[in-house]
Amino acid sequence: MFKGRKIQWLSVITLLLLVTGCSLSDPVQPELKANHSWQEITELAETTQVNMHIWGGSEAVNRYLDEWVKPRLKKTYNIDLNRVPIQDTQDILQKLRIEKQAGKKSGSVDMIWINGENFKLAKEQQLLSSPFVSRLPHYNQYYDQTAKDMIFDFGEPTEGLEAPWGKSQFVFFYDSAKVKKPPQTLAELKEWVTQNPGKFTYPAPPDFTGSAFIRQALYETTGSYEPFTAELDESALTRYTSPLWKSLNEMKPFLWRDGKTYPESIAKLDQLYANGEVWLTMGYDPAKAANQIQKGHFPKTTRSFVLKNGTLSNTHYLAIPFNASNEAGALVTINELLSPAAQMTKYDPNYWGEEMALDIQKLSSEDQKRLREIDRGPAVLPSEVLAKHRVPETSAKLVEQLEQGWKEHVAKQ
Amino acid sequence: MFKSHKSWALLQLFLFIIILFPFIMMLLFSFFTGWSWPHLFPQTLNVSAWSYLFSGNAGVQEAITNSLVIAFSATAVNLLLALPAAHALAQHTFAGKKIVEALLFAPLIIPPFVAMMGLQITLIQWNLTDTRLGVTIAHLVPTFPYLLRPLYTSFTTLASEWNAQARLLGASRLQRFWYVSLPHLMPGILAGVMLSLLVSFSQYLITLLIGGGAIKTLPLILFPYITSGDLRMGATFSILFTAVTLSILFIVEWCLKRFYKHRHTVPM
Repeated sequence: MFKGRKIQWLSVITLLLLVTGCSLSDPVQPELKANHSWQEITELAETTQVNMHIWGGSEAVNRYLDEWVKPRLKKTYNIDLNRVPIQDTQDILQKLRIEKQAGKKSGSVDMIWINGENFKLAKEQQLLSSPFVSRLPHYNQYYDQTAKDMIFDFGEPTEGLEAPWGKSQFVFFYDSAKVKKPPQTLAELKEWVTQNPGKFTYPAPPDFTGSAFIRQALYETTGSYEPFTAELDESALTRYTSPLWKSLNEMKPFLWRDGKTYPESIAKLDQLYANGEVWLTMGYDPAKAANQIQKGHFPKTTRSFVLKNGTLSNTHYLAIPFNASNEAGALVTINELLSPAAQMTKYDPNYWGEEMALDIQKLSSEDQKRLREIDRGPAVLPSEVLAKHRVPETSAKLVEQLEQGWKEHVAKQ
Repeated sequence: MFKSHKSWALLQLFLFIIILFPFIMMLLFSFFTGWSWPHLFPQTLNVSAWSYLFSGNAGVQEAITNSLVIAFSATAVNLLLALPAAHALAQHTFAGKKIVEALLFAPLIIPPFVAMMGLQITLIQWNLTDTRLGVTIAHLVPTFPYLLRPLYTSFTTLASEWNAQARLLGASRLQRFWYVSLPHLMPGILAGVMLSLLVSFSQYLITLLIGGGAIKTLPLILFPYITSGDLRMGATFSILFTAVTLSILFIVEWCLKRFYKHRHTVPM
């Protein structure tokens, strides 16, 4: 039995070594109370660590957070921002769900980046902290608290559970060396496609951008976005979607490869565009063309356009999980990310190039002047043009229904 | 004779190219941008991904340390668990052996994610989530069978007469294990250790769920870039990942081989 004993002892020793080798740091944060003033919250947040779990797939976003936000938080509040790159926000929601089930009171996630379906899920399953946005001084000062595209997240009332961080808008891109006058409506696009067969296509849903294109087309064939902000029953939906499928099927023979196949992702469509095989592409990111030109991927003659009746836009948000152990730190960090300085730096294409969530009218005149001086290049549409052509997203449920419908009525035809 | 020799060389060259080619592509992708049709070669040198990697902001050092500590700890524990398990499975028969065997190898077939949900709840109760120890325990699940399998095979070819002979010659239990069993098991241990290290090295979801981001490993940084299609960052981190894994494997192999040789030359 000597060998067995020995091995048992060895296992115990190894485990002990492992325990001692790990730093079991459990940061105990003083609890945040509902009546704490902002001054007190800031004091609580000082010299703490904030764990921000955020999709880590974009170098531009990562750099903005690591190279601009992190040093600033350190300098101003002595807060250590720990950016945790994740692949899919759903993984974090899954983790929170189990923590809720197991009754874990102090979790390791202090803030998350969220919107749409994920927000709806998190809200329904009560994975988020109590409403907090009205506590943020920058939110109260610089944000439009009545704007529909802020207080509704894919049709779901935000109820102060998440703070708007930025805005995206659906935009089309064209090569101005090949296309003189880009189409302004879906009808014009159809006409353009028949005149230039093979030079247009869209990513097949459920690709995120392809799915957005279908919703965009639905607004066009319906003539309005209004019916779709609430959930629809089967018969109402069919009434709206039959003209949509008809229209897309009419376009089909003139698409790239005669519409027999579609690019499986937006990355593939962008590649086709970069190679000159198609002359139009699209994206849920108005600064994409500028970034791609800078990377040397898109031709320098690439320009952006929106549709006359507006294009889809959504807001993305920051939220705090129900069991965040550093709620005060998260509040201060979110307030800082919402500040004019942080928003304007984010808007700068040298960092991220994304639309600001704040209300430009509420900025000081110096800031407005500074904003005008940020040169986003000719490939990005001016903010006023984008703002004027902004229509809200559909309800989260419709997104899935349309993806399913497209497969049945268009792809299989 | 000459002809077959030549075709053998050709085959070697072919294999070399198909294995090496993706690496060359990865290197090019990490250093250049603007590589699109109709250009045969990449156009612009862009080292920003590499400068980001070494800037200290990317958290690479911490990630490598975590990956190494977790992989080696998990493998050490695995080895201690797998040695008696493989011995029992290979050299003894007992009631319900098939069931035990199936259970031990189950993680190979059942996605470890299934076990993870239960394990996460347990680790929360033990207050071990978000710690390196917790992640190490979680990594035992997917890595264990990879170490058990080769050890199992090694034990089945270990004739029990060898041990009996050594016992007749007066060797103690420890001496028998050290001088008779261990040299024979060494190739199996080597293979198992490497597999266990590799599997632990490439865990993403388990590390994220149990480590909660407090414990950052290389896959945690790498995977988001790859799934988002950021070729340049993905390629750069993949090269780093490959370099770290390969060097670990070489070091482990070198150490164990030395040990193995040494054992043989020392007179009993």
